[in-house]
Amino acid sequence: MRKKNWGRFFGILGLVVYGIFVLFPIYWTVNTSFKEVGDVYKVPPSFVPTKFTLEAYRFVLQGTGRIALSNSLVVAIGATLIAVVLGTMASYAYSRYPFTGFTNEGAQFNLLTVRMFPPIAFLLPIFWLWKTLGLLDTHFALIVTYSAFNLPLAVWLLKGFMDSLPRSVEEASYVDGYSFWQTARRVVLPLIGSGLAATVALCWIFIWNEFIIAYLLGGTDVILYTAYLPALRRGMRIMWNQIAALSVLAIIPSVIILVLFRKYLIKIYLR
Amino acid sequence: MFQAKSRKIKTPYYLILPPQFLIWVVVIFPLIWAVYISFHDWNPTISPQRTFVGIGNYLAVLRDIRFLSALGRMLYYSGLGVTIQLVLGTVIALALVEYIRSPRIRTTVLVLFLLPMMMAEAVAAQMWTLLITDTGTINNILVWLGFSPVGWRAKELALTTIMIVDIWQWTALPLLIAYAARISIPEGLYESARLDGASKWLILRRITLPYMRVPLAIAFLLRFMDSYKFLDKVFIMTYGGPGTATELPTFYLYQTAFSYFKVGYGAAMSWIFGFIAIVAMFLFWRLAKSV
Repeated sequence: MRKKNWGRFFGILGLVVYGIFVLFPIYWTVNTSFKEVGDVYKVPPSFVPTKFTLEAYRFVLQGTGRIALSNSLVVAIGATLIAVVLGTMASYAYSRYPFTGFTNEGAQFNLLTVRMFPPIAFLLPIFWLWKTLGLLDTHFALIVTYSAFNLPLAVWLLKGFMDSLPRSVEEASYVDGYSFWQTARRVVLPLIGSGLAATVALCWIFIWNEFIIAYLLGGTDVILYTAYLPALRRGMRIMWNQIAALSVLAIIPSVIILVLFRKYLIKIYLR
Repeated sequence: MFQAKSRKIKTPYYLILPPQFLIWVVVIFPLIWAVYISFHDWNPTISPQRTFVGIGNYLAVLRDIRFLSALGRMLYYSGLGVTIQLVLGTVIALALVEYIRSPRIRTTVLVLFLLPMMMAEAVAAQMWTLLITDTGTINNILVWLGFSPVGWRAKELALTTIMIVDIWQWTALPLLIAYAARISIPEGLYESARLDGASKWLILRRITLPYMRVPLAIAFLLRFMDSYKFLDKVFIMTYGGPGTATELPTFYLYQTAFSYFKVGYGAAMSWIFGFIAIVAMFLFWRLAKSV
């Protein structure tokens, strides 16, 4: 009995130590975001802001920060929509109609290459594609690129949800006289609704978090927040409180998604 | 019945074509162009002229010391880093199930532990840069406690520092997968093992770990792929420096193609790197299956 208690003690201690390691940088960022810039550089460091101020947030939300965040929002929403709509179409077809040879295998292959190849290797030709078309640094190029990159993921996830839906449900709906589109809209989509929502959330988060595509395909006219972050670090005195404020603002939607979809995360990553 | 069957044959193509079109235009067609350009010498900042060099670029990449040492760094950064993430994640997941009984507290702790994984690599890199600069928070705390400051971004330590940040952010993924695998093991197995008088160590070795083998192999694969794929942390924390101390292959690729504008050379390098990565993945997968 005594031995067991010691094991439990060390187990919990280990969890606490890991918890501190995980949470300290996050706590420090939130802490810094409420500081004045002079307070950031103080020794010994102040564990709570000596003077609590929203100045950093005000600055970020008034200047380029707001433009960057709203650009990110537009691009992430647009690209997610395209990826999920096209992904739903493709995954339904792949799940319900046995394609022979090429198409099905081809889809799998698309997925694998997109996942394994480093994005920077794709970006070299894609950069020149958009440059040749004169579309570099536009919302359009970013949205199309992001949706193409996330389409395989959407197809992969959605096909799993579609496969688990019994086919007899649709047959019954056809027997009741529903057309193909009616069946899709009134029967199939509601039944995979939560899976669809999880897919939307995951695609959205991947696009929201992406850096190198945003940096190379955008950056001047259309700047996304991830590409704006390194730009904030230039200059003699780095405005760490503003960087922290922008980081906090950028993390909030991801945290909401994590809390809402915690049950799905496990399913999604294990598939 | 007949009608349903004919529907099956007719419908799919308009469902498949738009997604395939997008993939072909944005991914596959540019890749084919990249193959074409990799046989040429082309620096668009100097002249629009493309000179055909055959496989010259490929041979040059294979002899490029900077590329090869970047590969070596990747082996350290990804190999060691991901192994630590996997072991740490598994241990934490098992401890979570073993020592925290209340499902509510357990879920809360799990969500807290998953936080780093949800944020952008770029944001994580920025957060940590604040902590690890020479006058950053960690050094401030060290000095305050009477230790000497550590050069986290100095030549010897920089790559390891980035690896620690990667561990901080991504231990969450193996943790999540290991947790899911652990709670899906039927509890009855543990009960009957305990009835038979099996020790904890034996239960761990004979029940828990064998059950978790495949998910953990998948976790390793996913993590390894992502860790060689992304250059965000290097880009933001050190920009490859000091010197070339943190230059991973993806970052060298970025430099070649977008700073030096050696486009043909960069294309050849991306094919070689992609090929190496895919072969490594397949070898690992075969190995994981056979063990």
